Amino acid sequence: MGSEARKRSREKLREQREKEKRAAQRKKTLLVVGIAAAVVLLVVGIGYAVLTSGQGDGYEGPLATQTLQEGGSVVMADEGVNAPVVEVYADYQCPACRQFELLNGDLLKERAASGEAIVHYRPVSIFAQQEVPISSNSLRAGAAARAAADHDVFVEYNDLLFENQPTEGREGFSVEELKEWFRQTDADGTAADEFDERLDAEAEVVTRFTEEFLPALTADATEEIGEETLGTMVLTDLLSWGAANGHDPAFLDGTYTGEIIDATGTAYTRYSGDNMFRGTPAVYINGELLDNNAAMTTRGLSEAIASAGEGDVDTEPMGDGGEAE
Amino acid sequence: MTDTPDATRQTTTRWETVQPWISLACRLGLAAVLITAAVTKFPPALSVQAVEAYDLFPTDIARLIGYTLPLFEIALALLLLLGLATRYSGAVGAILMVVFIAGIISAMARGLSIDCGCFGGGGQVDPEETKYGVSIARDIAFGAMGAFLAIWPRSPFALDRVLGLYR
Repeated sequence: MGSEARKRSREKLREQREKEKRAAQRKKTLLVVGIAAAVVLLVVGIGYAVLTSGQGDGYEGPLATQTLQEGGSVVMADEGVNAPVVEVYADYQCPACRQFELLNGDLLKERAASGEAIVHYRPVSIFAQQEVPISSNSLRAGAAARAAADHDVFVEYNDLLFENQPTEGREGFSVEELKEWFRQTDADGTAADEFDERLDAEAEVVTRFTEEFLPALTADATEEIGEETLGTMVLTDLLSWGAANGHDPAFLDGTYTGEIIDATGTAYTRYSGDNMFRGTPAVYINGELLDNNAAMTTRGLSEAIASAGEGDVDTEPMGDGGEAE
Repeated sequence: MTDTPDATRQTTTRWETVQPWISLACRLGLAAVLITAAVTKFPPALSVQAVEAYDLFPTDIARLIGYTLPLFEIALALLLLLGLATRYSGAVGAILMVVFIAGIISAMARGLSIDCGCFGGGGQVDPEETKYGVSIARDIAFGAMGAFLAIWPRSPFALDRVLGLYR
């Protein structure tokens, strides 16, 4: 063999070795990437299983009795049940409230049906002072839910509202939609007619309130008492100021729109200290405010209910006639 | 890479000494960012809300993302801490940031005023309180760390080394 040939074969051998080395390296890389992918799948899979454990498949059973309360709230509990009282403050336009409802709505129905909890729904409108359509969506839905409560289908209607919550800042909860959703509940035709009539009237009140009354009142109040003081006032305080300063809120009297504004105002003063109502969703058990870990996880809420003693509902059932005239 | 001309050997050597430590810093930094992002997204119901605020996905998909994104962030952080498949973890981290930036830009373009929900929070905010610019700049910085690792995965204290990669 000439030196040229020897050189060539050495070259070939070297190339061969290089090639094998590269192949081995590729194999190694593939293995490591495979292990890494397995770690990711494991963490995500186990984590997902842990996070969603205890979340049922939804509750389809019969609901406990719904009782409309003075002030427009609704208690869901069968008669004679002694159990912890779970109060739920929610605004129909509030996205976190929607998440609470989607996550734990069924748990509450189930606990109420089994007599393990007395659920007290307290709709509010913390967005009533925001811009249209956030304010008008919130108030119109609140008034509609209250009208549904007149026909004992509040809980079903409450679900429908949250399921169909419009994106914040978009026009939504239209009168037509609200009427249509009412027909998806168990209420009968007569009830639907009454509901429609009530809703039409409320929708007008909401429009007048959010588009004329409140902007004018806010402009006046900003001028007279300053933006800073105004920022610390809740809506009911502002309305009282308006009543004394030429902005007569009488058109709200007897309306469900007015009722939910009042309910929101009282929510701010009902609790003190750490339990202070600051925003929605706010979930209380026997008057104690739950933190997010308890309220916004199924296990948390379930444990909080299980470990609480019996409580008292702090409102009275609305007398016969129901209508807040 | 190894057979560089003699003239540049001096600087190459210095780079070769420094680079693994920069890579280690990127691993730890990006892992810390991801863990913070994941932990602050708890509980998942609020993370779902932050995803829904982008108004991009149907309810079920938004829910799935809300639950699994923080878990994915934890898993990626774990890989970076261990130094396992560093090149690919870094690349995935960088791609993740690009996806986040795309999400933020799409929210901006559609005139939404939301919090990015990058580190918990999320949902609607006042139009003058949006921080899209800051969020994007932040994600670019995080993405750069990931890209650095994708290009220079060699670093000390890495499982990759034990397994014979990027020595």
